[in-house]
Amino acid sequence: MVRTLKINIKNTKEIAYFAGFLLLLFISFLISASIGAANIPIKETIGILFKGEVSNNRDILMDIRIPRVLISAVLGAGLSVVGAVMQGIFKNPLVDSYTLGMSAGASLGAVISIVAGINIRIFGYSTTGIFAFVGAILTLFFVYTLSKTKNIMSVTSLLLAGVTVSYFLASIISFIMMLNRKQVEHIVFWTMGSIASSTWEKLIVSGLFIIPGIIVLSFFSRELNIMSLGDESAHYLGINTEKLKYILLTICSIIVGAVVSTGGTIGFLGLIVPHIIRILRGSDHKKLIPYSALLGASILMLSDTVGRVLIQPKEIPVGVMTSVLGGPFFIFLLRRQKLKGVN
Amino acid sequence: MAYQLEINDLFFSYDKKEVLKNIKMNIKPGTFISIIGPNGSGKSTLLKIISTYLKPQKGNILLDSNKIQMYSQKEISKRISVVPQNTSLEFDFKVKDIVLMGRHPYIDRFKGESKEDAEIAEKAMRYTNTMMLSHRMFNELSGGEKQRVILAQALAQKPEILLLDEPVSHLDLQHQVEILDLIKRMSTQENLTIISVLHDLNMASAYSDYIIMLKDGRILHEGKPEMILNNRNISQVFNINVHINGNPVTGRPYIYTLSGVKRKKRNTKIHIICGGGSGQEIIRTLASEGFEITTGVLNIGDSDWTISKEYQMEMVEEIPFAGISNNARHKNVELALKAHLIVLTQVYFSKGNLMNLEVLLDEKLNNKRIYIIEEEVSFKERDFTGGKAASIYIRLKERENVRILKKDELIEILMKNGENIEN
Repeated sequence: MVRTLKINIKNTKEIAYFAGFLLLLFISFLISASIGAANIPIKETIGILFKGEVSNNRDILMDIRIPRVLISAVLGAGLSVVGAVMQGIFKNPLVDSYTLGMSAGASLGAVISIVAGINIRIFGYSTTGIFAFVGAILTLFFVYTLSKTKNIMSVTSLLLAGVTVSYFLASIISFIMMLNRKQVEHIVFWTMGSIASSTWEKLIVSGLFIIPGIIVLSFFSRELNIMSLGDESAHYLGINTEKLKYILLTICSIIVGAVVSTGGTIGFLGLIVPHIIRILRGSDHKKLIPYSALLGASILMLSDTVGRVLIQPKEIPVGVMTSVLGGPFFIFLLRRQKLKGVN
Repeated sequence: MAYQLEINDLFFSYDKKEVLKNIKMNIKPGTFISIIGPNGSGKSTLLKIISTYLKPQKGNILLDSNKIQMYSQKEISKRISVVPQNTSLEFDFKVKDIVLMGRHPYIDRFKGESKEDAEIAEKAMRYTNTMMLSHRMFNELSGGEKQRVILAQALAQKPEILLLDEPVSHLDLQHQVEILDLIKRMSTQENLTIISVLHDLNMASAYSDYIIMLKDGRILHEGKPEMILNNRNISQVFNINVHINGNPVTGRPYIYTLSGVKRKKRNTKIHIICGGGSGQEIIRTLASEGFEITTGVLNIGDSDWTISKEYQMEMVEEIPFAGISNNARHKNVELALKAHLIVLTQVYFSKGNLMNLEVLLDEKLNNKRIYIIEEEVSFKERDFTGGKAASIYIRLKERENVRILKKDELIEILMKNGENIEN
C-alpha cells in the first residue's frame, strides 16, 4: 500500500517535470518565433501557426522565423544529448560534444572549402557545410585510430588524442588563414557559429540526422548508466564496452557533423545542459537524455533570439551567445568540482 | 567428473612483464577457493582473466567444458560476476539503482526492469544488509558500505561463479565475518563457486575449501588449508616468520605473524631437555631473544617437538612410546656437549623418558652448567617411575655444576649474562 503510493507520487513528480520542460520548450518557441527585427505579437503567432490565420506577418514567420527557430531547437537538442552521452562515456564532467576534435575537424573541412572556393549546393547545404560534416566524422575516426593500442581503447588516451588532434587541426587552420588573408573574415564568421541562413530544406536534412540519432542514443541509457561504474565493472555486467563506445561515438559524430555543418561550432551547450539536468534530476540517462534534448532546444532557441535582437540591426552569432552565457557557468562548474574535491 | 572451470597453461604479460606463468586450475561447482600471495603476485590479474576482462597471451579457459571465448559478454555475465577491489562513480546513483544494474544481462534493450528483477535486487540487498541504504547516494557511502552494495549488485547477477578481489578489505570485523559467512553459505547451500583474493590468511584458512598460493605469477602451492598453510610454505611465499596453531574452535590452521625484526643473534647455545609441553614457553622466549636452542630427546608429535620443528631447531627425536634408544641418548649427549649450558624443564618422568634425566649424570657433562627449573609442581609429583627418577634427581642436586631455580630467574640470568656464560 505504502509502496504503490510512493511510486505514484514519484511518477506524478516525473510527469510534472516532463510537462514543465515541454512547456518551457513551447514558450521558448513562441517567444523566439515572435521576437525579431519585425516583432509579431504572440497572439498573432499562435493564430498563424495553429489557426491558419492569414496576416501580413505570415511570410516572415513561415519562411524565415520558423525554420530558424526549429533549426536552433534541433541543433540545441543534438548538442546537449551528445554532450550528455560523451560525459557518460568518458565519465568526465568537463567533456562536451566537441572534446574529440570534431569541431576542429569540421572547421578544417569548412576552411578548406572556403579557401578552395568550391561551391556546389546539395539539399540546401553549401559545400562548406558538407565539408564540415565530412571533416567532423573523419576527425573522430582519426582520433579513434590514434588512441587504439592493442585493441584496447582507454578513455584517457582517447581524450588525450582528441585534445592533441584539436590543437593540431587548429594550427593547420591558422596556417591556411595566414596564407589566405582575404577569406579570414568569412572563416572567422563561420567558426563563430551562426544559423542566420536557415531554410526548411536545411531543417529537414539536419533533423533527419539529428532526431533519429537522439532516439538511438536514448536506447543505450541503461548501458550509459552502467558505464558510470567504469569500463571494468561495465564489462563484468555484460557490456562489450569497446563495441558500445564505438557505436555511441559514431552516432555522436554524425550528430555533431550535422550540427556543425548546419550552424557552425556552437560551443558550451553540450557541456552545460547535461549538468543542469543532473543537478535537477540526477544522473540516470533515461531522464538525462530526453530532458537534455528539451532544455538544450529551449536554450538554443532563446540564445539565438537574444543574439538577433540585442544589437539590431546587427546579429550576434549564436555560437558567441552560447559562449558568453556558458563561460561563466563553466567556471562555476569548475569551482563546484574543486569544492567537491576538498570535501 | 567435468569441471565447471578449467584453466590450462595460462600465461599473461603486460607489455614485457610476465605477470602470470603456467597457471593451471580445475574448479568444481560450489568450491570456495582463496587465492593468496604477496602484492604484485598476479592475484587480481588472474581474476581479471577468468572474468575475461583481460585476455591471456597463452593458454585457455574452459567454462562448463566450452572455451570461454565462445560465450558472449552477456552470457558470461549471467554466469560469472565480479566484485572488484574498488568501485568509483563519477556521476552519482542511488544504491538501489546500482544494485539493479546487476540485472542488466537479463534485461532486453527495449524493455525496462521487470518486477522480478526488482525482487531479485531486493533479495540481494537483504542478503548483504544494504536494504537500509537503498535510497542513499552511492558516493556518500563509506568504503565498507560501497563494498557491500557492489556485492549485492554481483549477487543480483545470479552468477554460478563469484569472483571477489579482497572483498572484505574495507570492512570492519563484524561485516568481514558477515560477508564471508554469507558467501560461504551461498557456496555450500546454493552451490555458488567462490574464487576470492584474500589478504587475511586466517580468513582464507577459516573459509576456504582450497587455497592457491601465488608468488611472482606462479602457483607455488595449492591444496586444502590444513595441507598447505604451514610455516615453510608461508615463509617461502610471504617472506615472513609465522607460528601456526590449530584454531582452538574450528581446528583450521591459525597463523600468528611473528615480528620480522630479528633480535640480535647471541652466540650462546642452550640445550633444553623437555617434553610434554614443559619447554614451550622457555623455548619461545629464548629463541626470540636470539639464543641458539637445541632440544632433546623428544617424541615425534609431542608439543615441544612441534615447536622445535617450527623454529627449525636441531633436536633429537624418538618414536613415541618406544622409550629412548641408546642411539638417541648418545645424540642427546652430543648436542648437550655442543651447548654452553643445559636446561632441564619441569618434565613428568616415566619409564619412557627416564633416560632424559639420567643422561645429565653422564660424566662427559660434568663441566657443563646445568639449570633445573622447579616451580609450583615439585619433582615428587612429577615422578612416575616409582622413585627411580627422584633418586637421580637427588644426586644431580648435589653436583656443583647444577643449579635449581625458577623460570623467570633463569631468563633473567641469561638475559644479563647471555653473552658470557662460562662453560
